[in-house]
Amino acid sequence: MVWELIICGIATIAFAIIFNIPYRLLWMIGLIGMLSWSVYSLLPITGVGPVPAAAVAAFSSALISHFAARKKRVPVTTFTIPGIIPLVPGGRAYETMLAFVQGDYIEGLSQGAGTLLQAGAIAGGLAFALSIFSIGRGVGQRYETNR
Amino acid sequence: MTTKKDKLIDLCLLAGKLMLMYGAETYRVEDTMKRMAIAGGMDNVNSFVTTTGIFLSGVLEDDDDIMQMIRIVDRFQDLSKVTEVNHISREFVAGRMSITVARQELKRVEKQPMNYPLWLIYIASAIGGGAFSYLIGDSLFDMIPASIGGLVSTLALVLFQHYLQAKFFSEYLAAFFGGVTALILVHSGFGTNIDQIIIGSLIPLVPGVPLTNSVRDLMAGDLISGLARGAEAALTSLSIAAGVATAVSLFL
Repeated sequence: MVWELIICGIATIAFAIIFNIPYRLLWMIGLIGMLSWSVYSLLPITGVGPVPAAAVAAFSSALISHFAARKKRVPVTTFTIPGIIPLVPGGRAYETMLAFVQGDYIEGLSQGAGTLLQAGAIAGGLAFALSIFSIGRGVGQRYETNR
Repeated sequence: MTTKKDKLIDLCLLAGKLMLMYGAETYRVEDTMKRMAIAGGMDNVNSFVTTTGIFLSGVLEDDDDIMQMIRIVDRFQDLSKVTEVNHISREFVAGRMSITVARQELKRVEKQPMNYPLWLIYIASAIGGGAFSYLIGDSLFDMIPASIGGLVSTLALVLFQHYLQAKFFSEYLAAFFGGVTALILVHSGFGTNIDQIIIGSLIPLVPGVPLTNSVRDLMAGDLISGLARGAEAALTSLSIAAGVATAVSLFL
């Protein structure tokens, strides 16, 4: 577990370099990646599936990213883009591709649905954290309640 | 003859262009340009930004309406430039920078090379591929072939982007070469866990910037840009999947 966390931190920092993020922010990004990985790998122990675990992990890392971006006065995407990289469902996407290549379409569809659900869960976690931080600044919807 | 009006609108458009080109989300570009224009004394400011173009209109001191647009062709991922432009625009809005100084600073950001040299990005994608593959496959030894695969796929991506200038096709080719490298390494006995190695070699190609920006754009109400970026991310993922599928069906 400790090894995994250290390696996850290194991976996140490497991705931050790939996305050209300023040098002075790299250590915070490593910590955020470690946080999202620890949430993602510890929640299934309590019986939660990987999809909700990914949603909670994306939410918590995006929340911390918003605080960090406020504090450092930089755009929040600087933190969120590398922070969700450890959650990317690479294994499932590979299984999907392999099943389709081997002609096993049922297996491919079910794995593909799992991949899409996990990607959607990550997006949902991000969107949830974003909407907490944009309360009162959002766009108008459906009814004009302030007339 | 350049009046204050032209200088101001040039400044706003330059800032917006830099932010959009290097991977900022639509909401931030619109907001930054609007704030800068208002801080420069413009009235009735409207900015409209999509993934591929910027429009800005406004009135300066009872003059005629002005409206300008620019087209954005290239989209890179360089978040440190976004951060710097963000900082410059904050300084300008707070009144700590004049138009001329802000323009010089933006020109400097536009001309400066990438934050990290290209070799460091290659090394980072090797390390990132190797480290990410351990998170999926739990085999310490297979990190080495995975990092070689990650290095090859990023090298191929940069090479093909430079010479072919074709976005999705070069991603397809990069995924193909990364997958072939991983399969060759496994077949020659250097590595055991094939799915871990292939995922590690492909993970540097993941379209992280359009994916995250798409969610943020959709949430902020910029539906056109959100859908456009989502389509870009989906097409990139499909190209990567097709590339590795070609490699797997040829060599597995």
